[in-house]
Amino acid sequence: MGFMTLLTAGLAHGGLYALVALGLVLIYKTQGIVNWAHGELLMVGAFSGYTAFVLVGLPYPLAFLIAVLAGALLGAVMERVAFRGIVHEHHATLALVAIGFSVIIKGLARIPFGADVYTLPPAVDAGPLRFAGAIVTAQSVLTITISVGIALMLLAIFRYTRTGRQMQATQQNLNGARIVGVNTGRIFSITWALAAAVGAVAGLLAGPTSLLYPDMGSEFLLKGFAAAVLGGFYSVTGAIVGGLLVGVIEMLIGGYISTAFQQVSPFLIIIIVLFVRPHGLFGRRPVERV
Amino acid sequence: MDRTAIMKKPLIYGGLAAALLAVPLLTNGYTQYVVNLVTVYVVLGVGLNILLGYAGQFAFANAAFMGIGAYITAILSSQLGLPFWVCIPAAGVVTALIGTACAVPAMRMASIYLALVTFAFAELMVWVFINWKGVTNGSNGIGVSAPDLFGYVFRGDQRLYYLLLPCCLTMLWLASRILKSYIGRSFVIIRESEIVARCNGIDVSRTKMIAFGLSAFFGGVGGALFAYTVGLVLPQSFGLFQLVIHIAIVVLGGMASLAGAIIGALLLTTLPEFLRDFQSLQEVMFGTALVIVAIFMPRGIAGALTRFGILPREMLVRGIVRERRPVATPGRDQDLEPIGVGVTHD
Repeated sequence: MGFMTLLTAGLAHGGLYALVALGLVLIYKTQGIVNWAHGELLMVGAFSGYTAFVLVGLPYPLAFLIAVLAGALLGAVMERVAFRGIVHEHHATLALVAIGFSVIIKGLARIPFGADVYTLPPAVDAGPLRFAGAIVTAQSVLTITISVGIALMLLAIFRYTRTGRQMQATQQNLNGARIVGVNTGRIFSITWALAAAVGAVAGLLAGPTSLLYPDMGSEFLLKGFAAAVLGGFYSVTGAIVGGLLVGVIEMLIGGYISTAFQQVSPFLIIIIVLFVRPHGLFGRRPVERV
Repeated sequence: MDRTAIMKKPLIYGGLAAALLAVPLLTNGYTQYVVNLVTVYVVLGVGLNILLGYAGQFAFANAAFMGIGAYITAILSSQLGLPFWVCIPAAGVVTALIGTACAVPAMRMASIYLALVTFAFAELMVWVFINWKGVTNGSNGIGVSAPDLFGYVFRGDQRLYYLLLPCCLTMLWLASRILKSYIGRSFVIIRESEIVARCNGIDVSRTKMIAFGLSAFFGGVGGALFAYTVGLVLPQSFGLFQLVIHIAIVVLGGMASLAGAIIGALLLTTLPEFLRDFQSLQEVMFGTALVIVAIFMPRGIAGALTRFGILPREMLVRGIVRERRPVATPGRDQDLEPIGVGVTHD
């Protein structure tokens, strides 16, 4: 495979990781929670899309909408039911609750879908394109476009809408935001819904290249972690750049070194980044306050 | 402690020891296997609790420590034919050295970053177990030969229990002694505030290294016992799910509580066995239990039992302990105890 082909394939995978990382970063920024169940939100998105599009036979845009809404609803419910009340508890407790949700969602998905694997057809049915010496599938182009589009949209929301500014205020100073009259509960719900919706989109886009099965989320979660760590865990831009980089690095390692190393590339990225530059590419060095 | 309590103590311990020794009389092969697993997970749970509960280091590497211990035992016992009284300490010591090295990132980063880097290390170790075929035999795993002592072979689950039980009790005794020592109290101070620890003349880096090494030692010994219990060491046994079980044992049982580790190990080893044939149902129940206990009993089951006065409060400093006084700071620091008066935690 040529370098350009690897690069574009890497960017397409990276777009998915960027979307996962985006959701993780949004939640972490707002409440300081690492959502270990984020992979399952992606899985729910993919399976809702599959149910609506393949099993029920709805048109693709409608199925897409249903999947995104299902993901968003699940995210918001998880936050409201569990995390809001225990947000001050130890990180281990929070991690355990998130892992608990992840196990529940996987178990529930196994009831109708069992241990089989499913495939979601691509959103656009077009042949491969040739672009600057690389062979690119239409799905890759779509994935890259949508990921970058979503990132730009989020940045615009943060900057220009009232809700977006309230979200930023909540992230910067929870009590300060409360004092000036921000309904922080509403902001938490919106954050989780938004993060989960972005995850569900990633699931829908991953459908054609990755197989659908109840355990599909963990692989994406790991790569999303790698992307978020690379980007600094605090920055929306960082998550996108980190995701694309993780995708490209993974493809290049797979293409030029070995596929065995490709499997561990996200772990190596996490370890190396945290040793060399713990605050990531876009984060600021944390300050310890007494 | 009054006189009657002193008189009662040997009686309670004696009765408990007799009951524990008599367990194999009541079990068949399968239930004995589950009991054996409980003893193994008590050791593993105590190991993680030292790091997570007492020292407050949010590290996820204990499944990897367990795996390293299990592989060392399997290789030493089946390929070199060494006896268990060499294998188990060797597994513990080697793993402790690796664990001490894992403390290096803990000097530089805290909370979730430490969790992520140790988690990545754990997943990397699983990859090593699968791909280092010359040593680990890849995904086929290594068989472990039954341990023997002067010709007496601990073959079968009921005999093996008499090897596991003393090991488990020794490790528990060791943990309680260490945690009540200067080192154990420094763990707690580091958890509460590294700055306060420094002000009290505690070498934070050194103490963190000891905590990691100690936790890894328990992980390695637990892994060794696990290898003898299951008889076949497979790389997949030490993945993400193993990690989840360890954390669940500590958090559900009760953070910073030895009784909590025992309760957690007991529950999380036996309950899933009842639902063995229904994977989805097992997952839903397990997940729901994790969420509900974490929400309603943030201090775990041991914490709840202590609050209702069923379990005695575990104390690291013997002597007069003043009543808890309400601390004004809100949020995470709520359970900060007046240090030096008597560090209790439930």
